[in-house]
Amino acid sequence: MKRAILIQRNEPKSDESKNIRKLIELQDLARSANYKVVGDVTQTRGTDRKYQIGRGKVEELALMVEELGADGIIFSNQLSTTQIYNISETCKCEVIDKFQLILEIFAERATTKRAKLQVELAKLQYELPKAKAIVSLLKKEERPGFMGLGSYEDSYEQDIKSRISRIRKELASVQKDNESLRVKRHERGLSIVALAGYTSAGKSTLFNALVDEDVHVEDMLFTTLLPITRALNIRERRVLLTDTVGFIEDLPHWMVDAFRSTLNEIFLADVILLVVDASESPDIIRQKLVTSHDTFWEQIEGVPIITVLNKVDRITEDELQKRLENVGYLAPNPVTVSAKNGLGFDELKMEIYRQLPKWKRDTVSLPMSEYGMSIVSWLFDEGIVHNINYKDRIIVDFEARDEIIKKARGIEVKQDLKHSST
Amino acid sequence: MYNIIAVDISGRHKINDRYYMVCAAVSVSITAAHIEKVNQIKIKPFWLDSTPELTDIIQVIEDTAKEIEFEGTIITEHGEMYNQPERVVASMFSREFKYQESLGERSSIELAHHISLCTRNLLLSELGIESR
Repeated sequence: MKRAILIQRNEPKSDESKNIRKLIELQDLARSANYKVVGDVTQTRGTDRKYQIGRGKVEELALMVEELGADGIIFSNQLSTTQIYNISETCKCEVIDKFQLILEIFAERATTKRAKLQVELAKLQYELPKAKAIVSLLKKEERPGFMGLGSYEDSYEQDIKSRISRIRKELASVQKDNESLRVKRHERGLSIVALAGYTSAGKSTLFNALVDEDVHVEDMLFTTLLPITRALNIRERRVLLTDTVGFIEDLPHWMVDAFRSTLNEIFLADVILLVVDASESPDIIRQKLVTSHDTFWEQIEGVPIITVLNKVDRITEDELQKRLENVGYLAPNPVTVSAKNGLGFDELKMEIYRQLPKWKRDTVSLPMSEYGMSIVSWLFDEGIVHNINYKDRIIVDFEARDEIIKKARGIEVKQDLKHSST
Repeated sequence: MYNIIAVDISGRHKINDRYYMVCAAVSVSITAAHIEKVNQIKIKPFWLDSTPELTDIIQVIEDTAKEIEFEGTIITEHGEMYNQPERVVASMFSREFKYQESLGERSSIELAHHISLCTRNLLLSELGIESR
């Protein structure tokens, strides 16, 4: 296990509790990436162009690295290439920032082709703005071409750009397959419910408990990287429940872009379950809900959201009420559950049912024949049959989406015409 | 459901050596995810000769919002207040203030933004001033 020291530069006059939360999150991230945190340092000051933190602090850090035997330094703030170069020259160890750390976690967990492509795209997009600086730092002494001012920088940058466009094309074709799958599922009358929320909110535990599955759950950040979908019956409506990657505060746009095809599973769902860890303090819940709203903004276009306050078994009724009062304005359609012991699942399923795209109720009269029976069987497949009466004709009282009702009505009329003409 | 006053200012850039700004304040009843009801809208133009400071922006917002008859916290985007910390800005207001958080609040500010932008465009075309 690699040993690391965490560094965070706080802006002067910034929110103290937010800074503490960020550092805790960085510790969790480091642990998820298999680092052993051997120390942490914070400094409150403006950005230093050369070192991000003060020069004196970097020298202190170099001593700390030697004393604690650290293999690396992880910064909470985004670093420029020059800053990485300068700090690693002084401290004589590997220097990375939070985003590179997230990429390390993603790279380790990515197993499918799509996940690997997304991680590679994110890596390249992270590298692109640094491409020129990296090359000029590495080739300081060596300048190719006549008069020594060659075009290493351009060709390296160009290379990254072309790799990005190649991966984008590949991802687009994967996304196309996914979209057609989604359309097909909708055509089959399946509604899609997506689990979303901050990382480590308990989405996978809730998913497992709801669909009775065994998806990998761990007390680590970003355990789920790729969406997993399973079928679920809610009051006889068949829905597909999708578990997705968790959100994180200040996620840069290039990373959101790289994981677009995964996030689309949330954005294009019929209902979103926004999972929140209710056992955390109201202030942290509020901040995490704001991050989630921020991610949803301009993406979900009116998709109903159900806020699932998970882990309520860990707090008292009074504490729960306090949290509901504090964050109620950020929690659409709140439902309290405990994924661990199944508390509140009936209310959650009821709420999902209420928010699903509406089905209509209708009655059709079908001939008592083999053909009529096949239509009855089709109606059982496509909707909910409430009542069925076999007399001279088969009278079916059923609930289904508009297209099915229209089709059933068409069959009824066609059969009647056939009957009257014979 | 609760009431807020969403505020947006358009025209924070110089045209012909002046700042032609329009502030829109919208009183809305919202839930966490949606706008449920628009209670009242107030629009006020402000012409400034120098670059608006944070105190100018607060004055513009206060002047527009005081004409709203409904109670509610004033809500804006972070950028409206030059990304200053919330507690710094809130302490400068005479009434409650906070930055946007929920989807309902963001939708309200989007509504205020469309109103202020359209009003400003109309005013500028009436005055015969090129808007770009």
